[in-house]
Amino acid sequence: MKKIQFQQGNSLWKDARQRLYRNKAAMAALFFLVFMVLACFLLPLFPFIENPNATNLDNIAAPCSWEHPFGTDQLGRDLLARVLYGGRISLLVGLVATLVALMIGLLYGLISGYIGGKTDALMMRTVDVLFALPFIVLVIVFSLSIEEPSRELTESVITWTGWSRESVAPILGLVPLFIAIGALGWLTLARIVRTQTMEIKSLEYVQAARSLGLGHLRILFKHIAPNLLGTVVVYTTLAVPGIMLTESTLSFIGLGVKAPNSSWGTLIKEGADRMEVSPELLIFPSLFFCLTLLALNFLGDGLRDAIDPKTAKD
Amino acid sequence: MSRCRIVGLPTRVFYDKLGAVMRILTVFLCILSSFLLMNCGDGKNSAQSFAEQKILLLGNNSEPQSLDPHKATAVADGKIISCLLEGMVRPDPEQDGNVLPGMAARWEHNEAADEWTFYLREEACWSDGTPVTAEDFVYAYQRLLHPQFGGRYAEMLYPIQGAEAFNKGHAEWEAVGVQAMDAHTLRLQLNGPTPHLLQLMLHFTWFPLPRHHVEANGGMFDRRSHWAAAEHWVGNGAYIADEHRLNNYLSVRKNPHYYRVAEVKNEGIRFLPIVNGYTETRMYLGGKLHISNNVPPEMIAYAKQEAPQDFCREPYYCTIFYRLNTTRKPLNDVRVRKALSLAIDRETLVSKVVRGAGTPTFSFTPSGAGYKATGPSGIAPTQAERENEARQLLAEAGYAEGKGFPTLVLMTTSRDVQRIMAETIQAMWAEKLGVHVEIRSCEWTAYKAAQQSMDYDISSSSWSGDYLDAATFVELWRSGGGNNCTGWSHEDFDRATETAATTGDAQQRSSLLQQAEQLMLSCHPIIPLYHSERTYLRSSAHIRGRQPRLLDNFPLDAIEVVP
Repeated sequence: MKKIQFQQGNSLWKDARQRLYRNKAAMAALFFLVFMVLACFLLPLFPFIENPNATNLDNIAAPCSWEHPFGTDQLGRDLLARVLYGGRISLLVGLVATLVALMIGLLYGLISGYIGGKTDALMMRTVDVLFALPFIVLVIVFSLSIEEPSRELTESVITWTGWSRESVAPILGLVPLFIAIGALGWLTLARIVRTQTMEIKSLEYVQAARSLGLGHLRILFKHIAPNLLGTVVVYTTLAVPGIMLTESTLSFIGLGVKAPNSSWGTLIKEGADRMEVSPELLIFPSLFFCLTLLALNFLGDGLRDAIDPKTAKD
Repeated sequence: MSRCRIVGLPTRVFYDKLGAVMRILTVFLCILSSFLLMNCGDGKNSAQSFAEQKILLLGNNSEPQSLDPHKATAVADGKIISCLLEGMVRPDPEQDGNVLPGMAARWEHNEAADEWTFYLREEACWSDGTPVTAEDFVYAYQRLLHPQFGGRYAEMLYPIQGAEAFNKGHAEWEAVGVQAMDAHTLRLQLNGPTPHLLQLMLHFTWFPLPRHHVEANGGMFDRRSHWAAAEHWVGNGAYIADEHRLNNYLSVRKNPHYYRVAEVKNEGIRFLPIVNGYTETRMYLGGKLHISNNVPPEMIAYAKQEAPQDFCREPYYCTIFYRLNTTRKPLNDVRVRKALSLAIDRETLVSKVVRGAGTPTFSFTPSGAGYKATGPSGIAPTQAERENEARQLLAEAGYAEGKGFPTLVLMTTSRDVQRIMAETIQAMWAEKLGVHVEIRSCEWTAYKAAQQSMDYDISSSSWSGDYLDAATFVELWRSGGGNNCTGWSHEDFDRATETAATTGDAQQRSSLLQQAEQLMLSCHPIIPLYHSERTYLRSSAHIRGRQPRLLDNFPLDAIEVVP
């Protein structure tokens, strides 16, 4: 008897994972990002990373040394520590604000595209109106108006938990920024998702699902949403760099990160000013920033190829 | 099976790799080109080509708020206005502190120096050909002082009899001591002997206005009037405004109707509003400017090395200080204010952060112009003692080791030096007192607005003298003064400065001003930090005739631009 071997069927996600594993560039990018996140969030817990805000006016703009691997800045603060702490903030803003935008945009687009008709028209005209308003100005107004409550929140968190101000304030102080960017950054995504939803809902398998009597929610989230993922993932990985840049713009005009805390954006700005005098101040933060953005791009490409079977098949 | 592929046709994998390589290349190219772009231009740099046209390129700090001398308050605006309008007298390019006849051909005063008569030169006219008359001066003074107009700098005219009362709405204009005797004679009655009146009159608040032009454009009280717009400028100065491009430049050209037009040494000036000192220095070194406004401390060594002939360092009649909002808790407690002041290590600040371009100080008015600055009494000689005292004071005020102290907001402009200084002081307060402040850096106009409306806790400020006399510093702190902005006032202080303003005895005047300042300093409504110096770059190849000025008011028409 000849033994017949059946190949076990692969799920969509297993296929996608395998395709992703085979993409060397994307995997390298993924490892790099994981490494970057670990470095920014875990390294500062070790004592050999100095306090990023401790000034030392006797050691201004020192070059690289064993004591200060990246040198020190214009106030004698350790640049390595500042880059790592700055990375925390930049990555957090990039990821959290993008997630907020993603949630809103995805839901909005799905609902609008799926229901269609007058609801769709109304929802999309609302998006048009919001699009017509300048993004940065809206973010400024929005984050200013929720600044006061968020400061109170910071104070009460400090008094309740007893955590040190240094560890809490930089991150809680960014809550207005997260909310503002997230609440206003979902417009493009909503449009993309809506178009895709409209396309997919007319496909046979969705009609089949409907004729089998499945509920709307199940159709939306089981049959339509997963097929949007390719587009959404690509858009997200491209949106994160944009949002990180918005954060640095806002920090520059005094609304984002408050001194003495830093993000990569503010570090690059400070470094660019002192480019001739101490180039390390520009080179190190921009290196971290550029590599992270590049890695996000590679990962986005890889994920698209992996998840979206249409473009991934040769 | 692998032969199926047509040999030579690039595969997807190849495209992917190509894409990756291209992406990396793009990033590198971007970095490379940004480095290259800094150093290349159109072959000949603009400093050279403008020098051939005899046009001066001047770094001018900030975008002008207004060319209307009654609305402007910033030093940058004053520089432009002093080119476009001329008062009774003008500064002598040869000697600092000396004045030359301007609109007035001659003048006289009585023995007490409290009544002055100016005789205007007959040939003087506005740039549209209308003659300049004494009425134009009267009109200007009435406008600035009028309570309905609300001029920020009105107190500059307070030496005139009745001016303060009129400005505060207590008197009629007829009671003010300004009178046009005829078309070419102006008489000023002053509150008291003012021998330094001519020094005051160099400031743009004393300049005349083209009455016919202002009236044709909305009249005296129209704060939105476009009479001062660059496009249809009418003035009596050495230049007329030519073109204003927002955040790019404001250009002026020689005024053909100016009575001294033959003596104007250049054809025109471009004022470039560059707030960032690093950018400005870089632009200067790249040949985009003839004279820069400011070299930031960190760039001093670099600028010296790159342009040793051009680097200038001059004394400046200016104090850097922090305003404290004395109407807010806990800054309404003098002990808290004193503690904050004592905890700042000024020596370290000046030597490390300002890189020595200044003198640390505990007093406000700089020495000079016949005034000897005496610091407040009872300041401990060493920083360690001062810090101990600061901690004690803070504990007495109920905030031992900073416990319970609210997070105050320290407001600065977006200027680099101010920002670094704020971060240093923030760290000093946190370390020495356990007091945490939050830094908010604002754009210039927002900063000004917040300061004027007292919407701040601590404000990083600077004051440069309007004229060469201690009164320009001391009188800032009178109750209700337009630039006081701290909420602090004291009857004895007001009385002392008033007496000083009306006394004829120079000795007594100086000691009264000193007493007043001592009183103010002992209440700590401000934290004096240092008297600054001016560090800037001036092209040794293209610029002739510029000399150092304590007030930075060298007449720009006396600067020669050579190719």
